[in-house]
This record gives sequence, structure tokens and C-alpha cells, in this order.
Amino acid sequence: MNKTININLGSIFFHIDESAYQKLKQYLDAIRRSLSDDPQGKDEIIADIESRIAELLSERVKNERQVINETDIEEITKIMGQPEDYAGSEEIFEEQPHSSKRKSNKKLFRDGDDKFLGGVSSGLAHYVGMDTFWMRVIWIALTPFTSGMTLLLYPFLWILLPIAETTAEKLQMKGEDVNISNIEKKIREEFADISEHVKEGASEFSEKVKNADYKKYESQAKSGLQDIIATLGKIFSAIFKFLGKFIGALLIFIAAATLIGLVIAGFSWGSFEILGFGGDMINFPPFIYGSMIPFWLLGIFFFIAVALPFVVLFILGLRILSSNVKSLSTTTKLSMLGIWIVAILGLSFTGIEFTAQRAHTGSDIIKQDLSVAQQETFTIKMLENEALSNKMRLRYSEGYETVFDGDQKKLLSNRIRFNIKHTEGNVAKIKIRKSAEASSRLLANNLAESITYHFDLTENNLILDGYFLTSIKNIYREQYIDVIVYIPEGTILYLDASTYSFLDDVKNFQKVKDRDMPKHLYKMTNESLYCLDCDENDFGYNYDPNKDNFNLQIDENGIIIKLSNNADSTAIKINKTGITID
Amino acid sequence: MKIENTKAQMRKGVLEYCILSILQHGDAYTSEILSQLKDAKLIVVEGTIYPLLTRLKNAGLLSYRWEESTSGPPRKYYALTESGILFLNELNNTWSNLVGSVNAVISKKPTNDEQDN
Repeated sequence: MNKTININLGSIFFHIDESAYQKLKQYLDAIRRSLSDDPQGKDEIIADIESRIAELLSERVKNERQVINETDIEEITKIMGQPEDYAGSEEIFEEQPHSSKRKSNKKLFRDGDDKFLGGVSSGLAHYVGMDTFWMRVIWIALTPFTSGMTLLLYPFLWILLPIAETTAEKLQMKGEDVNISNIEKKIREEFADISEHVKEGASEFSEKVKNADYKKYESQAKSGLQDIIATLGKIFSAIFKFLGKFIGALLIFIAAATLIGLVIAGFSWGSFEILGFGGDMINFPPFIYGSMIPFWLLGIFFFIAVALPFVVLFILGLRILSSNVKSLSTTTKLSMLGIWIVAILGLSFTGIEFTAQRAHTGSDIIKQDLSVAQQETFTIKMLENEALSNKMRLRYSEGYETVFDGDQKKLLSNRIRFNIKHTEGNVAKIKIRKSAEASSRLLANNLAESITYHFDLTENNLILDGYFLTSIKNIYREQYIDVIVYIPEGTILYLDASTYSFLDDVKNFQKVKDRDMPKHLYKMTNESLYCLDCDENDFGYNYDPNKDNFNLQIDENGIIIKLSNNADSTAIKINKTGITID
Repeated sequence: MKIENTKAQMRKGVLEYCILSILQHGDAYTSEILSQLKDAKLIVVEGTIYPLLTRLKNAGLLSYRWEESTSGPPRKYYALTESGILFLNELNNTWSNLVGSVNAVISKKPTNDEQDN
């Protein structure tokens, strides 16, 4: 049992099955879509077709009460032809000035009739609707600005774009221009389609609600809902179709920009190395030194790992925009994937190698006595080497710089921590601890030992290097140096301004901060430095000069009471030997 | 390249000329034109003709009038216009030239090693 609908087709009245009606409607809609966008001619053609269908149907209807069913519609379709046939018949008129242009489905081809190399420029020129000459000028003009990227892009497009061979393809190639007004037209069309669908859906739905037979309310509501869902589906597909093109264009833009950027970066990186600019930049990425894989291969790996996905994006974008862009063969796809995986593996291997290089920390310790005359002021300076580096305050950047020591490229660092401590003996001492990281403890120790660091003591002046040198291959091995100077009680010490930034948590009585410590005189007490010429501005925030410093220590050795006030301090020790007062 | 496409292209090229020629012998309505073309196996499906007729009409080569029919909807009778007749004469010349040239080419035996693609 089927519901029937009454329709007026070409001014004739027909009873028609609901399913047959849907079929007929779809058929007419499809024809309408396949026809060109000239609204007047379109309506007329549809009217003619409708009346022909009416004629054919009335031949089949034997009496008034006969209902047209799906089989009738199918046979009509067979006689009239598929929607594509209608579109095909219009191609004859393609070049006729009277006829309006067909729907904008311009495609990107290479133009084999007008080629200098592969016809890419002329194809592109047809696509954007400009003169081929100017397109070639653009290609040539862009070449120096993109570091030759266009030279890579050209063969790429040559491979991907098919050549326009048949007349139809040539016409498609030269079809409607892709310009703003046509894009606008296209958008309007899409929206007109959508609004038509919405209207249809809404009117069908309201009709259904109006005519609702309440006994069948539920089933009708269901089919109404289905209609709305179907309509919504159509709307979304239209929107997505439009968005798709937009996304395609965006993909191409992003991918091309990234690829061009990568190539430019690659070229400039390479040329810095070749031309020998000693910028710090060439120390990146950090793992390029001391890697098993040669530097140039790592560069290629890196380029492939980053560029290949963008190449894929680029092709994807092209395919979204223009459906006739050749798909890559499976072999090509698989080999591209293979190359990419190799590149990624190479990079991960080097990454792991790099990490392993820093697995162990090793050190090298040098201890030496310093002959300091206690009566005189002992001055400590940190020496910068201006011949090697004129970069001040390197510490605040990454702490490394590449320099040339003679004609040898070396790594200069000033990661030095300097501290001053009290010693029980009468002789001043210096301890230098060099540290580095490597894949084994022994290697780390050797690496630490290879660090070049000097100091010099002349006439009570201790001059320490404010930097150290190591081989350029050892970048990023966490090298640093701890320098500790031990001085006996009573020594007068002057910290030169150059020690600024090297002092690392130096203990002192007034709790003066490291950054305020240089350019002052100190006296070593029995435990820490005491500043002789500091004023209140220099004192640490938790130091109270008026408060006596009282310290009580009780353990198995006895009792020690320490009392200090300004530069004087007294200690009372009570132990097995009795009571002593210092 | 599919043979069907080539066949369709060839047929379509002469369709316009044939429609005008049919109307030369007197006014006709769509179904009459259709049946003549179908008998001559120039068209397979009817749909093809409607866009053609409309274009020819819009180009000013054809005109039409409505006539009531006893057995169905009103019929569109097409007739050649003045420019349509001129156009047709032009096509007649072109066609006879074309037939002559094509026959000359296909009946001639190849004189060298060149083969048809």
C-alpha cells in the first residue's frame, strides 16, 4: 500500500506514488543542477522537459484512476537520459558568444600547446586568468626571493599536474576565471541552494504538521524529522564543500610557506657554515657535534623529517582544490614513508646518542697552596680574556661562546662558581674542581681534565681566569668549574669588581649578598668573612648589627660558647682540658 | 580514450545542423524533431535535445509558438527564423566541404610509415 500525491506536470494532472514522486523530483533536481547557471534558459529547459515527461506519461496512463509508479519513472528516465547527458549536450555551445558560460569548474592543467618547459606557467595563468607572459615573469622574479624554492616547486607541479589533452580538458583549463566576483557568485549559488533546501524542508514539514492525522501523528512526525535531518545533511554537505575549498587553499598556503621557510633556513644555515661566519647559531641543534652520523646527513634527515609532511599537506591541498591533480602512486607513497621513517630513526638515534653522552658526571680536582703574606691585603681578581671574547656577562645567556684560540675553534664558557672559605691551618689554599658529563665516568673525567683553566698569584694578587676553554666538540656537556679559596683567620681580603657574577653564596658575617660583595675589604674570622667597610645598604636583610651574635654548642666534646660583636669575637670552650677563652 | 566518448562527440557536433535541417522542411514540435532524430539514430536519449533547442532559440536561430493538443499538454512548435535560414545555408556549405574532405582523407591510403593514433 502506498500513499499517492497529485501533481501538475506540464499543466497536466497526475496521480503519482509517493516513492515515484520522490524519484521524479530527484531526477528533475539533478537535471537542474547539471545545467548551466543561466537562470532563464534553465527554467525554460526544465519546463520543456517537464512537458515532454508529461506527454510520455499521459501515453502510459490508460484511464483516469491509474497511478504512476516507480517503474514508469524509471522508463521515462531511460528515454530521457541521465542528467549527465544534458550537461554533455551543452559542451557544443562552449565557445559560442551568445551562450552563457558553464558552471565554474575550472581545473588546473598544464598547457601543452603553450609551453616553455612543461606548460606549468601557462596552465597556472589560465587558472588565475592572467597572461602567460606575466606568469612566467612572476616565476622568474620569485626565484631569487625564495632562494630558488620556485626551482624546486616547478618540477613538482610538472609531475603533479596532468597535461590538458582532450578538448574537454582544454576547455576546463580555460574555463571561468577564478577571481573575486566569480568566487562571490559561487558562494551565492551555494547559499541559494542551501536556502532552497531549507525552504523546501520547512514547507514540507509545516504541511505535514498541518495535515497531521492525529492517529498517525507519530509516524508522520518521524518522517518529518527524517526530512529535516536529510535537509540538514544537504546543508552541511554544501557548507563543507565550500569550507573544503577554503581549507585546501589554506593548506597549500601553509605548506608552501613552511617549505619555502625551511629551504631558506637551510640555505642560510649551510652558507654560514661554508662561508665560515662564526655565529653561535651554527651550534644548533646541540647534538650535531660528536655524533656518529655526519653533520650533512643529519641536516638532510632533519629537512626530510620536517619537510615531507608539509609536502604531503601541499599535495592534499592541491587535490582538494582541483580534483584532477594526479595522485601519487602507491610505490611513491610507500618510498616517501620509508624515507621519512629512516630520517626520523636517524634523528632519534642521534637524540639518544646525545642523551647517552651526558649519562655520567666526571670531575678533575686540583689543589694547591697559596703563599699569601698575611700582613698585606690579599686581592682576588677574575680575568676576562678580551682577545678571545668581547662578550660581557656571557653568564646571562646560555654560558657558551665559540671563539678562535689562534686558528683553533674552541668553546669558551664562564660557568665558574667562586667561593671563599675559612681554613684551620695557616696556609691559604686553592681548590679547583672541573666537571663535565659523558657517556662513561672515565670519559667524563678525561673531558673534565681537558678543560683549560689558569690562575696566577703575584705579590698577594690572585688572578683567576674568568673563563675556561674546551674543545668545540664538547658543547652541551655541562662543563663547569668550582673554585674555592681557603684563607686562614686574620687575612685581610679585597674582592675586585671583576669577581662580580662569579661569587656563589659566599658566607659572611653581615650576610652581604653576593652581588654586593665585590669592591669591599674583608677580614677572615674564625669561621667566615667579616666585611670591614660595608655600610647598612650592603648588609643582608636578616642581619641586625646591634644584636650580639651568641652561639651555644653542646656535644660530647664539651661546651662551646661563642660571642661576637662587630669585628671582635670571644669563644669560651669547656672540655676535658679545662676552660679556655680565646 | 573511450570510443563511446568520441562517438558522442562526433554525433553532438552535427546535431545542431540536423535540427535546423529538419525545421527547414516545415515547423515541428519537439516530439516530432525527437522522433526524426531517433529514427536516424542521431540521439539515444531524449534529454539531450532540450538544452540544444533552448540555446538555438536564445541565439535567435529558432522561434516557437504554442499550439493546443488534443491528446496532451500544449505543444511548442519550432520554426526557423531569418537568421536561422542564413545560418543553415552556411552550415550546408560547411557540411558538404567537410564531407568531401573527410572522405578524401579516409579513402586515401597512407603513403608513408605514419600510422593513425
